[in-house]
Amino acid sequence: MMFSKPFLCVITDEALCPVTLAEEALKGGAAMIQLRHKAASGSQLFIWAVEIRKRCQQYHALCMINDRVDIALASKADGVHLGQQDMPARAARKLLGELGIIGVTASSPEEALQAQQDGANYIGFGHIYPTRSKLKDSSPLGLDILQKTATLVSLPILAIGGINHENAASVIAHGASGIAVISAVSRAHDPSMAAGELVRAIHNNGTL
Amino acid sequence: MAHNQRNRTPLPRLYLVSSGEENACNGTLLLNQLSLLPRSLPCMVQIREKQLNAKELLGLALQARAIELPEGTLLLMNERADIALAAGFDGVHLPENDCSANTLRAFAPELVYGCSVHSAAALCIAEESAADYLLFGPVFDTPSKRKYGAPQGLKKLGELCRATSLPVFALGGITPQNAARCIAEGAYGVAGLSIFQDTAKLAETFEQFYLHLNQ
Repeated sequence: MMFSKPFLCVITDEALCPVTLAEEALKGGAAMIQLRHKAASGSQLFIWAVEIRKRCQQYHALCMINDRVDIALASKADGVHLGQQDMPARAARKLLGELGIIGVTASSPEEALQAQQDGANYIGFGHIYPTRSKLKDSSPLGLDILQKTATLVSLPILAIGGINHENAASVIAHGASGIAVISAVSRAHDPSMAAGELVRAIHNNGTL
Repeated sequence: MAHNQRNRTPLPRLYLVSSGEENACNGTLLLNQLSLLPRSLPCMVQIREKQLNAKELLGLALQARAIELPEGTLLLMNERADIALAAGFDGVHLPENDCSANTLRAFAPELVYGCSVHSAAALCIAEESAADYLLFGPVFDTPSKRKYGAPQGLKKLGELCRATSLPVFALGGITPQNAARCIAEGAYGVAGLSIFQDTAKLAETFEQFYLHLNQ
């Protein structure tokens, strides 16, 4: 897609101000921010999206909006991230045009292949490790399935779920192009420093 | 004020809101209603199904769009302009705390934009963004809205209608019999949910409404 080296995506935490968190994450070296807030109103999401996009541009990072293609279009964000319960990627592509970036969450190699067929630009794949950020009813996928999926699809894979600065390098070594985190940055004492540590960890890829 | 790019044909004066109880597996009431709409009587139809996720909502919207509707009937999606566009709907209905119509018009100029209005501040936003219509209620007592307190009443409906030049639809406890009282207060049209849910009587209900609306 758009990164020559492994990249960090920070997803906003519903318990914190997304704009402040995005700012901290960008300072620490995040290359992608995903605005995700299921309970927020359209106007609130739009205001946040505009502010986050502005900051992303300053840092040459990508601003992605979870689920809401309308908010992405209205705020001129770089694209949308779609879960399996969201609008299908093909429908979103018609609205966003060829230049819009579409990420699709996949939890199996089959879903990843489907996302690729549907015209996604990257795949959010997970959860790799156990995570407390979201309640999960399935068991973690682990590194082997990550590696298998990375060989199956040609799209960049953004690994998600329980990733921290200690396991981040192994995730990259197993075929991920980047990592996505929520709590590893949002719940850190110093979110900017936490983001920086993660960026350093994924840039040490391969040397486990 | 933003210029509304939509080709302004008069909106239908009857407005059906979906039940809010559509099930992802068998969204049948809405589709039944749509297929039973009387041929010669157009209406506004808003799909408002907040319990459905975006995928389910788009699925329902596409099924609704596939039904042949009376000429002049407009399909509107609550809140989600993206799903409205993806399903080929005619417009979007915006709750008070949603994006302004102007914001959305920038990328979807062809849509009809309606706004729920319960306050002077919301009216201000709706007017500035040149909404195509306003939805106001509950005007009369209605079981589904009792938990929010007393209805707004005809007087407040009249105040809103006099304060704006935009068409106002009255919502909440509307029947064919009291519809004329809303029109007398300056409402452009009337909207309802439960009154349209007895599908066996849908055509008759529509005819009665139009009888009173045209008086």
